[in-house]
Amino acid sequence: MRRTLKAGLSLFRIRAIEGLQYRLAALSGATVSTFWALIEAVILVVFFKYGNNTAGSINGLNLSQGVSYIWLGELMVMLQIPGIDGDLMVKITSGDIGIELCRPLDLYWHWFSRSAAGKVNAFIIRGGMVIACGSALTLFGADHIGFGLPHSPVNFGLFLISVFSAFLFSTAYSMFVTAIRVGVAWGDGPMYLITVAGTVLSGGYLPLQLWPDSMQTFLRIQPFASYLDTPARLYIGSVTLKNGLLMLLLQVAWIAAFVFFGRMIMKHKLKAVVVQGG
Amino acid sequence: MAQISLNEISKTFKVEERLEGKLGIIRGALVRKTKEIKALDSISFEINEGELVGYIGPNGAGKSTTVKVMSGILTPESGRCEIMGRTPWKDRLNHVSQIGVVFGQRSQLWWDVPVNDSFDLLKDIYDIPANRHKERLNQLVDTMNIGTLLKTPVRQLSLGQRMCCEVVAALLHNPKILFLDEPTIGLDAVSKLALREFLKNENKQNGVTMILTTHDMDDIEALCDRVMVIGHGKLLFNGKLDGLKRQFSPLRCIHAITENPIGETSIFGAVKIDVIDREWTVWFDPVKTPAHKIVAEMAEKLPLVDITIVERDIDEMIAAMYREMDL
Repeated sequence: MRRTLKAGLSLFRIRAIEGLQYRLAALSGATVSTFWALIEAVILVVFFKYGNNTAGSINGLNLSQGVSYIWLGELMVMLQIPGIDGDLMVKITSGDIGIELCRPLDLYWHWFSRSAAGKVNAFIIRGGMVIACGSALTLFGADHIGFGLPHSPVNFGLFLISVFSAFLFSTAYSMFVTAIRVGVAWGDGPMYLITVAGTVLSGGYLPLQLWPDSMQTFLRIQPFASYLDTPARLYIGSVTLKNGLLMLLLQVAWIAAFVFFGRMIMKHKLKAVVVQGG
Repeated sequence: MAQISLNEISKTFKVEERLEGKLGIIRGALVRKTKEIKALDSISFEINEGELVGYIGPNGAGKSTTVKVMSGILTPESGRCEIMGRTPWKDRLNHVSQIGVVFGQRSQLWWDVPVNDSFDLLKDIYDIPANRHKERLNQLVDTMNIGTLLKTPVRQLSLGQRMCCEVVAALLHNPKILFLDEPTIGLDAVSKLALREFLKNENKQNGVTMILTTHDMDDIEALCDRVMVIGHGKLLFNGKLDGLKRQFSPLRCIHAITENPIGETSIFGAVKIDVIDREWTVWFDPVKTPAHKIVAEMAEKLPLVDITIVERDIDEMIAAMYREMDL
């Protein structure tokens, strides 16, 4: 365990160093995300202003909360791109998985650290730039489409915790998908489908609170809420603290579930793995 | 007891086949036809500690599959395999910490970061104490002469330089066994020589058992005490390279040029003689007649200008062997 952890941290470090080399990629990614957030924010403004809406909020979500949610969505989406780590994908399809299997490490945790490192890089660099742009808008007076302050210091604290859980959740989920992908020679199509479904259900395209009332219970319980909706709601304060804590617990439960199933599938697959190529 | 022992190992793969005919592609989307290929068909052999064994065979013969089975990443259908007392695929983690692998066509180094970072990572993966790692690394780096490369990102190394680093990476944790899968593929002559020298040294000094698969017969000739030949999943030959040579190319030949054209005369001990103008080619069996006797006889009978004993072309010999065995 100690050894796995040490190796995991080392993998994490080397992956992070590697990721930092692509500054231009980070910059362009952040630009795309910023524009995307702006467009969504504008749509939301139109939606709230001209919709048949007298209360000023929908399902307990008001406009400025909604806009902040969207900026957070662009921040969190970084944790998900790509749903399955590109390097690992190449290893699976090319047969380099063979070398990985020649390491005295549990392949699941070995790849977990790699995948996590790949995500955290994009998250910190690109996500940081996006949030900086969003905050700049607020600072310079365009606060109706800018990123707002957290609801309260307590909310902010819980938000930070849930971002960390979301990060673990997203890695556990990627590993689950990766495990399914090992030894299966499908194209990438189904993988994109799984990733997009995850993004939609996490609130990445439309805040979950704006979805029809009848779906709310389902949306709160399903796993992908863990990834964006939970941290976002805690930040903007569109959930009571008590419910917020329950959502945090739910996040932990989903992490455990995906790690469990991911490991199980991986173990099963490795028994029959075919290492491609000579 | 042998360090490595394989006993009747078999492994079959399913290969998908395109259906015949014009609509083969379309029908193939609906119906799949699979063919079973016996990659390994009851392979058995033993290797002792410190041996340097060459493993040859044509493409697709099952070389890599055997290496994969021995390194614990493939599970065979049947047969037993024991390496240092363990079954590789059952006790994978303990097994792989004792072995090193170099796959000539794959890289275990991180592409975008300096070589040294990859070595540091391996230190943590294999849990090597810092001082021992440093000592071993220095030793390897000195003998391999790659000190100047350590700070260079892997993507900027030449193939030869990279392969040297790959080998160092595989040996950092002091493995007892090293599997080399076509390590010299694509290397220039100088790099090949350096790499061979290094491998030989490592084998002599640290007693690392090495199993080398290759298509380069010079590798085998320069390095290996023993060769195993595999074809169609079966082990066809297992023994000394000399034995292989005797079996498949028993005759050696002497090439001579005479001062003026001379009609064919008999040479004692010669099996076959070709004469074209001034050029003589004399075939003989070195087991029955030593080369010097033939040379002496030729010197006596012929007005020689030049005489050479032709080295056996091992590539040709192997090709002949593959043909003979219908591989």
